[in-house]
Amino acid sequence: MLNMEILVDNFFGILTVVPQTVALAITIFILSILIGTGMALVQEYNVPVLKQVVMLFKLFLRGTPLIVFIFIMYYSLPSIIGYFTELMNLDYNASNISPVVILIVAVSLTVSSFQAETIRGSFLSVSYGQIEAARSLGYTPFQAFKRIVTPQALVEALPEFGSAFLVVMKAISLGFMITVVDIFAEARLIAASNSYYVEAFVVAALMYWGVAALVVKLTGKYESYLVSRT
Amino acid sequence: MLAIQNLKVSFGDKEVLKGVDLQVNKGDVVTFIGPSGTGKTTILKCVNYLVEPDEGHMQLADISVDFKKIHKKEILQLRRNTAMVFQQFNLFKNKTVVENVMDAQIAVQKKSKKEAYERSIDLLEKVGLLEKKDEYPSRLSGGQQQRVSIARALAVEPDVVLFDEPTSSLDPELVAEVLKVIERVAQTGVTILLVTHEMDFARKVSNKIVFMEKGHIVEQGSPEEIFEQSQNERTRQFLKHYYPEAIELMAVHS
Repeated sequence: MLNMEILVDNFFGILTVVPQTVALAITIFILSILIGTGMALVQEYNVPVLKQVVMLFKLFLRGTPLIVFIFIMYYSLPSIIGYFTELMNLDYNASNISPVVILIVAVSLTVSSFQAETIRGSFLSVSYGQIEAARSLGYTPFQAFKRIVTPQALVEALPEFGSAFLVVMKAISLGFMITVVDIFAEARLIAASNSYYVEAFVVAALMYWGVAALVVKLTGKYESYLVSRT
Repeated sequence: MLAIQNLKVSFGDKEVLKGVDLQVNKGDVVTFIGPSGTGKTTILKCVNYLVEPDEGHMQLADISVDFKKIHKKEILQLRRNTAMVFQQFNLFKNKTVVENVMDAQIAVQKKSKKEAYERSIDLLEKVGLLEKKDEYPSRLSGGQQQRVSIARALAVEPDVVLFDEPTSSLDPELVAEVLKVIERVAQTGVTILLVTHEMDFARKVSNKIVFMEKGHIVEQGSPEEIFEQSQNERTRQFLKHYYPEAIELMAVHS
């Protein structure tokens, strides 16, 4: 059976890494929305060349297992950054780049390729008639986008964003492979030190569930608030 | 006030307008009638460039454009001097009734919130919807939504208001309330281009009727000239189907 004392110990041990895991997840989540929005806009506005680049990029990212992409980034990002810093004559040693940064880049890019689809769909859900109405009144495309399209698209995308956040939360556990310590990694470290494996992972799972429950509750609340305003 | 020359529009390889000329004076209420799919709505949407013409010239107040080489700036100018009321209302769903009327005043005309609010309240009162000012559009009937959209159009003080089949998607019992509002707008002296299938209404409010068929203007003139004295075979054919009363009127005249 589970050792209660170890469970309690582990609980507080692993709890210490929850804030940094959530902070990492939020960072990646926000970046993925920004990049995903960029990709969605490039596709929606049919920007030549960039559109083809985005399509190829999305195909590549969505088809590659995240762990494979993390390793590709782990071994290539320092030299890529090194190339650019050298090009711009910056005094920066890219080989010291933190694995956390590499994880952020890899997961953000991968998740953004999925976010782009969600975001594109939510833009399309805003009726074309409203965009026509905004144009007919002399709004610039940006004004129509900001005042009319985005607020409505957000309502549409919110449930998807909630699940995307949880995907990010869990994807971060792969960071263990490149020495980033999150909930899962901390559980492994503790388990390795005291050999109570089941206890450690049960506690880790509890932490993930706790965060998930919180996210579901918050997005639900925010969604009903937004829906009441349409 | 508004002059259009040789307006040509095609969608793909289908020609929708085949060289239309039109002259509108300040304060005119011009109504376009004719069978479906003859380009009536398209003319209206060319005036604010929601449809991109292939060629043609247009003069609107002091804005003069050649559709073949129109600039972004000119497009915005056209749109900022006109306003459109759509068949499907197209109210902004994320804004309340009063915000719908205010928004363009703030975003486009850079008015202060207070100024925009006061004008909006005033207009909502005129269309009889003051008590709905804080509702969202989804809670309103079609007729109410269309009256809000008329207030939204008038809010920006346009030189020309374009009404694109404003009652066509309304339940029959809601048509009258919208027509009443449009009639009152017409009486204020603002220039109006209107597409409608409400012949009685067209006859009553317009001072100029334009009959269109297959991308051409067949005949234009005063309501009496079109509805009572038209000698044009195609106009008479159309009226026979859509406005049998006109045939009686013509019988009286001849």
